[in-house]
Amino acid sequence: MPEHQPINKRILWSRRQLLQTGLVGIGLAGAATGFYQFQRRQAASTVEIPPIPENTPTEGNGLSPMVLLRNFDYGTLKQEKGRTIREFQIIAENTTLQLNSAVSYVSWNYNGRVPGPILRAKEGDRVRVVFLNKSGHAHTMHFHGDHPSEMDGVRPVRNDTATIYEFDAEPFGIHLYHCHIPPVPRHIGKGLYGMFIIDPPGGRPPADEMVLVMGGYDVNGDQHNELYAFNAIPNYYKEHPIPIYQDQLVRLYLLNMIELDPAVTFHLHANFFRVYPTGRTLTPTQETDVITMGTTERHILEFAYRFPGQYMFHPHQDAIAEAGCMGFFDVIPKKS
Amino acid sequence: MIRIFRYVVFIVVIACLAIGLNNCAGNSPNTASSPPAATSPADSPTGVTTNNEPKININTAILSELDKLEAELGIPALSHQIQASRPYGSIEDLVSKNVLTQEQFDRIKAQVTVEEIVLTGEAKDVDYLTKLGLMKGHMIVAGQLLDLNLPDQAEPHLGHPVEEIYVDIAEQLPERNVPEFSDILTQTQDLVKSKPNDPQVKPTYDQAIAAVDQAIAALPADQRQSPSFVLKSITEMLETAVAEYTAAISDGKITEVIEYQDSRGFVEYAKDTLLKQIEPNLDATLASDLKTKMDTLFQAWPEPVPPAAPIVSADEVASQVKAIEQAAAPAIS
Repeated sequence: MPEHQPINKRILWSRRQLLQTGLVGIGLAGAATGFYQFQRRQAASTVEIPPIPENTPTEGNGLSPMVLLRNFDYGTLKQEKGRTIREFQIIAENTTLQLNSAVSYVSWNYNGRVPGPILRAKEGDRVRVVFLNKSGHAHTMHFHGDHPSEMDGVRPVRNDTATIYEFDAEPFGIHLYHCHIPPVPRHIGKGLYGMFIIDPPGGRPPADEMVLVMGGYDVNGDQHNELYAFNAIPNYYKEHPIPIYQDQLVRLYLLNMIELDPAVTFHLHANFFRVYPTGRTLTPTQETDVITMGTTERHILEFAYRFPGQYMFHPHQDAIAEAGCMGFFDVIPKKS
Repeated sequence: MIRIFRYVVFIVVIACLAIGLNNCAGNSPNTASSPPAATSPADSPTGVTTNNEPKININTAILSELDKLEAELGIPALSHQIQASRPYGSIEDLVSKNVLTQEQFDRIKAQVTVEEIVLTGEAKDVDYLTKLGLMKGHMIVAGQLLDLNLPDQAEPHLGHPVEEIYVDIAEQLPERNVPEFSDILTQTQDLVKSKPNDPQVKPTYDQAIAAVDQAIAALPADQRQSPSFVLKSITEMLETAVAEYTAAISDGKITEVIEYQDSRGFVEYAKDTLLKQIEPNLDATLASDLKTKMDTLFQAWPEPVPPAAPIVSADEVASQVKAIEQAAAPAIS
């Protein structure tokens, strides 16, 4: 895992990027941006991540959402004909999630967890995904990002059969994968989706990195979602707030996989975040505390909290927040 | 939207076909990346030249194909072991996943592949029958739900054949002299969705059924009546039924009506059509054993509309299917 981003490279990059962004900042927004760059320089120098709370419940998911949050899958490296292949093995299966005390729900998913593994590669890597379907219905893995048509993952893979998707990881940014068998809202709603992160060649500055994927559940099949969640389990991070350190740069990879609702507006309390749209830039394009995202839209958000305490995050379609898409950051005072 | 998507999928597939199957296969990344040893039959210490035999795809082969490896290496239950350790990124994974020792692997490596080789011969025909059998299963349960005047429940089962399966057999239809039939499947679904009470529903549905039957009839009669051939397909359908039946149940209740109904249709078609077809050619004792076992299995699905709680647990259904597979094994070559 650590081979992925040598730490000295990341720091070098962060300096270079700070220079770049610093220039842009001075040119465009003046003193205010300068302040944030200063704050970020402070935050970026080291990364401190609070211990992950132990024994948090899985609620039937393959991994506890508390662990899943920062669980990146870099695959297995193989050498073939002088080329490095980053290989991932994915099995579509069915598992029962306990969405709340009253609702248990059969999810269809990748590798027994919703969202599926957070696949991570560097731009230009050769990626091979070996996909086996053990889930009954035909399924696929359709990746966002550049690849040839035969790797587009729309051709059904029947139960008990396997296929191999292979392509170059391009372009850098946050992408996703999901099943593309109709009715797609049902296959995605059931849990067949995951994030696919392609890091830029030089990486990004050090940060406490985590993934949040918003999802919706049409529990009774009426084409409306009754429950929503960050990382599969409704209200999970409300009941188990995510610990982060004060003044620590947090890099949030945020993806909206809610089907059946056109868009949601992610809101972070008591703070502003910098937005790297679709992760396609190395410098932020805006700063805000609300961002509206349609289905499958995703962005990198960066922020640090100045004051300790608990802070909510949720879509500002408040009915959706109150139906489970709600969580807290627990900001722990930095060690003196 | 869904309908537009369906056409997009179709266009993509057709485009791929138009570019040329060979081209698609030629671009298969594994062709370029498979280790040289895998294509060098001379390495085989047994001295058996396997060059002309199609290779066994360890990711997709059915048990009876894997049995060839089991027999050659003399390792009991190897076929199941190979299945259980899927998927494989390369054939060397047989060693890294502790399915075979290096020495065992070296003996059979020339015969196996993970490349998406185009299915040929019997395996291709079994796959074709299985896919059409799954289609029939969906259509049968849809028809029963239409008869019960439950078009809303019938509709998804009219969608599945064209959405999940058709694109995967479309390319084979010309070589089998089967006319393209996605239109009638789509028409039936559209009609049931938009005008469930239209008098055309029944005749359109019947046409769709006839189209699938015609596609099945394109297989030679001796295959359709061969116990070995048809039992392979039955096995695949029953396995799929188990996966779907299991996915229908949570918390001791049948919560997913669609998956209950899918699995019902698959088992019903396997039992009432496929098994019947081969009965005259089966050993009488085996025929009656399989018939009894299938009838017992089918008790899990008393009606097209599911009972609130499962009559038979998912584990029990899975073990009954296992028992059917074991009983059928001697008739499969």
